[in-house]
Amino acid sequence: MSAQRQASSASQTPHISPAELSYLWSSLALPNNPIRPDGRSPTQFRPLSAETDILPGTNGSARVGFADGTQAIVGVKAEVEKTVAAADVSSLSQRAQEQFGENQDGEGKSSATTTGHGSWVQMSIEIPGYRDDDALPVFLSEMMREPLVESVSSGGNADGEMAGGLKGRLVINRRWHWRLYIDVLLLSQPLSYPLPLLSLTTHLALLSTKLPKLKSLGEEDPFFDDDWDAAEYLYPRSQSRLASALQLRPPVTLLVISVGENVIFDPSRDEIAVADTLLAISVARDGGSDALKVLSIRTVDPPSRLTQPGMPNAENPASLESAAVAEQAVNGEEIPGVWRPRRGGVKRNTVAKMVKLVLQKGGVGEEVLEGLEGVEVG
Amino acid sequence: METVKTKDSAPGAATRPQRQRQSNELRKIFLKTGLIPSASGSSYLEFEPSPALAAARSTPKSLIPPSSALKLACTVHGPKPLPRSATFSPNLVLTTHVKYAPFAARKRKGHIRDASERDLGVHLETALRGVIVAERWPKSGLDITITIIEAEDDRWWGDAPDSHDAPWGMMNVLAGCITAASAAIADARIDCLDLVAGGVAAIVSDGDDAAPRLVLDCDPAEHWSILSACVVAYMPSRDEITELWLKGDGSKAVLSADDKRLGNEALLDGAVDAARGAHTVLAEAVRESAERYAGLALGGPAR
Repeated sequence: MSAQRQASSASQTPHISPAELSYLWSSLALPNNPIRPDGRSPTQFRPLSAETDILPGTNGSARVGFADGTQAIVGVKAEVEKTVAAADVSSLSQRAQEQFGENQDGEGKSSATTTGHGSWVQMSIEIPGYRDDDALPVFLSEMMREPLVESVSSGGNADGEMAGGLKGRLVINRRWHWRLYIDVLLLSQPLSYPLPLLSLTTHLALLSTKLPKLKSLGEEDPFFDDDWDAAEYLYPRSQSRLASALQLRPPVTLLVISVGENVIFDPSRDEIAVADTLLAISVARDGGSDALKVLSIRTVDPPSRLTQPGMPNAENPASLESAAVAEQAVNGEEIPGVWRPRRGGVKRNTVAKMVKLVLQKGGVGEEVLEGLEGVEVG
Repeated sequence: METVKTKDSAPGAATRPQRQRQSNELRKIFLKTGLIPSASGSSYLEFEPSPALAAARSTPKSLIPPSSALKLACTVHGPKPLPRSATFSPNLVLTTHVKYAPFAARKRKGHIRDASERDLGVHLETALRGVIVAERWPKSGLDITITIIEAEDDRWWGDAPDSHDAPWGMMNVLAGCITAASAAIADARIDCLDLVAGGVAAIVSDGDDAAPRLVLDCDPAEHWSILSACVVAYMPSRDEITELWLKGDGSKAVLSADDKRLGNEALLDGAVDAARGAHTVLAEAVRESAERYAGLALGGPAR
């Protein structure tokens, strides 16, 4: 029990010996040219297979599987719900004015209809071996929901339909809105930190999500077209190739580690075990321009702090020692080849470097988003 | 937009608190250690209430207080042996528990921790795990419990929840939790790498025509909308961050002309500056705690 409690925010502490940890760390920390256990380049992702629209009972769904056998399914369901009147001091007085004079209608309405509420998007994550109130599922769902409801497109280029981001899209009229349930199911044991897998699956499921076409107008009670073929995508898309690059897309959360001076993307479980820093960075395309923007950054507790330290030969009674090494060990200095659990935090310039690698033009963020565009949706 | 202009001048509307501080000026922090004798270490932290609250007390315009200020108590129990049933752990087992009192926020919180409280607990754990030298206490546990007596507002109470309705108050709460927990751990005489302090910076926009700007230690009730905010747990002597939580889109911030930093970098630097400020208060509180302890050791009155 305590082992699981310890590993709450990151994945389980892996059972690798201190010698292996030290070997792994030093090969990942090689200056400018890290050697990863599976031979990938630092920015290369693991191969994955993806499909969408697999569950007919949902508004949108997706399945993503990594080559190591971890799989996740996401189903998105939408419900129509009545909006509880917002307790806004100014809108109360506005409403009073409207009742008396009915002088302002256009502006007040438009501002009321473009805003939504973050709690209209609900996310639940099911991971085998964890209770649903354990720290890992809670932390993961907050981490993924946060950028989702945050992603307000600020550019004027995104036409009225998507003006308030995802939350704005959920507004039907002043009295009704959609409530979105995103249910994430990890089918296999979490072999590595499941965040990238779950984030990619959620992204694809949201892209394939369709809402029934609205037939009623304005402030009427909502009434929908019962033809599913006429349904509209939650994230609207246009035909032209050029415009599609500028459209609002759900954000993606990337897992990035730093080892020594190196920054490594999509780490496997063993690589996370030796990471000095573990960051989850959520990015999305800016509404107006082609550039990417950061929506959220969170540090994840790296499991390397909980690993068992290695014992230098000098302290080991089973081996012969030399006085010089013994002195070094007493001083608590780092001895090459002997694993020490990581201590302390991350330097600011390391964070800046990690963010820059994600954001830069032609960088990892763009690559991932383009790869996801390539998945056939619908 | 016309609707914005009518908001403040609407008849009967209470006035919104305004930020009186400079953009790089922090609120005063009250931090005292050792108030809970049964715990091995404890601390109490309070943020300075905004001037709007004092004004509302003297000349009330509304029955509802205009803003709230953070108040929290932190207790540390341990290091203590793990229960017999627990599996072997070569490291200190750190447990963090953050709970809002039911009356802490404007909306009542239940007695069972909800998702946001658990989330805060995980953030706090990440912040502290980097500071504590865990292998020094094998087979031991350390419980850190924080009770939030009064929470920060997420926005001005008169505003309808809208597109900027994210729980911004939580970020201030987390910064307070980090600073208080750090003081309580020092009060429990658990040696750490450094005193870790929490700080918040935000990119805020006041009104629709004002350019978004960077402020340190923002009180969410004092601003129209917060575009992006960042909390750090920062160790000044090592210049390292053990916990970083940034959210929102800060790419539209207007920094000074010669400032070439990105929005998120400016936020991070701002939060670190705020944490440096909190660190001075923290160091003073820990010194007081040490003096009290030294007094005890020399045969002073039992506490």
